[in-house]
Amino acid sequence: MMISKRLPELQLLILCTIGCYIFLELFVASAALDGLFGFTGVDIIFISFLLSFFVAIISVIAGVGGGVIFTPLMLAFTSVDTLIIRSTGLVVAMFSGLVASGPFMRKGLADIKLVFLGALPILVGGFVGSMAAVSLSQHLGETGDSIVRVALGLLLAAIALVFIVGGASTEYPEHVERSKLATKLKLRHMYWEDTLQKPVKYTVHNVKIAVLLLFAVGFTGGFFGLGGGWAVVPVLNLVMSVPLKVSAATSGVLLAMGNSAAIWPYINVGALIGVVAAPWMLGQIIGGIVGAHVLSGIKAALVRKLLIVMLFLTSLKLLSRGIEGLFNISIPFI
Amino acid sequence: MNKQKKPPIPISGVVYGEIIYWCTCVSALVVLFGTIKSFLEVDQTIPVEYLLNAVFEGRSVEAVWGGSLLQKSPDALTYLAILNSGEAITVAGIAFGVLSVGPAIFFSAAFMWRSHNEFFAVTALVSGAFAVIAPFVFFLL
Repeated sequence: MMISKRLPELQLLILCTIGCYIFLELFVASAALDGLFGFTGVDIIFISFLLSFFVAIISVIAGVGGGVIFTPLMLAFTSVDTLIIRSTGLVVAMFSGLVASGPFMRKGLADIKLVFLGALPILVGGFVGSMAAVSLSQHLGETGDSIVRVALGLLLAAIALVFIVGGASTEYPEHVERSKLATKLKLRHMYWEDTLQKPVKYTVHNVKIAVLLLFAVGFTGGFFGLGGGWAVVPVLNLVMSVPLKVSAATSGVLLAMGNSAAIWPYINVGALIGVVAAPWMLGQIIGGIVGAHVLSGIKAALVRKLLIVMLFLTSLKLLSRGIEGLFNISIPFI
Repeated sequence: MNKQKKPPIPISGVVYGEIIYWCTCVSALVVLFGTIKSFLEVDQTIPVEYLLNAVFEGRSVEAVWGGSLLQKSPDALTYLAILNSGEAITVAGIAFGVLSVGPAIFFSAAFMWRSHNEFFAVTALVSGAFAVIAPFVFFLL
């Protein structure tokens, strides 16, 4: 059965969104924007929505938040202010996770105990990170933007490496020794594995290290407006020995929660421009639901390889733009 | 063949997920309404064409808002004061989706407590409090 028929709310959202954009295109006289190839404001909104829809689907298949794709590309290839990009990036990273929380919890894929264990470090980390981003921008201006581009370029290269090494991720990690803290906290659970047609049991390990790492992930996500799905999944899977499927679902829920605090410093300095963020938010919601339900059969490995290439290329562009800004030089060919 | 039973799904998780899911859907509708209103407004406090032009020209946040009728960057209170404008409704829609995290955590924590997971109920309460307080921190500083 078609997904929109199974989910009437999705049908309503798609109809309303498409109807809204068609109405705006047909009945609103919108002037062409300067330097945007003759596109009007309404065109830009509609194009942003379509891009966001596809970014959401790609990010669901690749198992990362949409912010990892949106923020670096916008920072590398547009002249939009970095604070505006990063606040919109948080919206992109957050809303696909928010809307996916329902299906993930209903299916029992996301582990609510792990969510509440990681919630506070990731909330506080995200909030502190975005406060630091706003402060850096206000005190260092253009230089601060260049520093952000260089730092993000380096981080992206590191993320691409995490994806390459991520081959070490295991579907069902096993540990011989038991963690005392995890046993005390009753951090053991089971979920129904459709592919095996049986329940899979797991116990959690390295709780203290994971909590520290989640704070760092929250800070990075808030500072760069990236979200942090790329890092939470390895922390849950490789450090805490949580099965891959549960790690991915829990990561989505956890990040949406963490970014909910990180967005406020941006809103409070006017860096969240509603008309810019709105189509990206809507695209993430609709693309996130469609991606989560329909595209499980697509070969994720190919998408991840493409994403690795994109991350490396974007990191090069970010590094070159950052270095150009810092040292007032021009780097050819990039 | 030995058919295995599906494990029970924790009610606290389902409660959290459902609240967030439906609030996000509602916030999407509010954002859509705000977008339409932004483009249809005649007397605009924040002209949408100006905003898009200024943002894509690469102006800084201060310069974008400095050139509008507001003349300064808005904070959460400014948006509340101009809540009849399309831009403010759009931001309010996004904020509604974001704020839904707080109540969802609190309701979930209650079910967590009832299922004798006191430690996680407390961590949930603290996290929920932080999520709810975060927007107001700036008024305290």
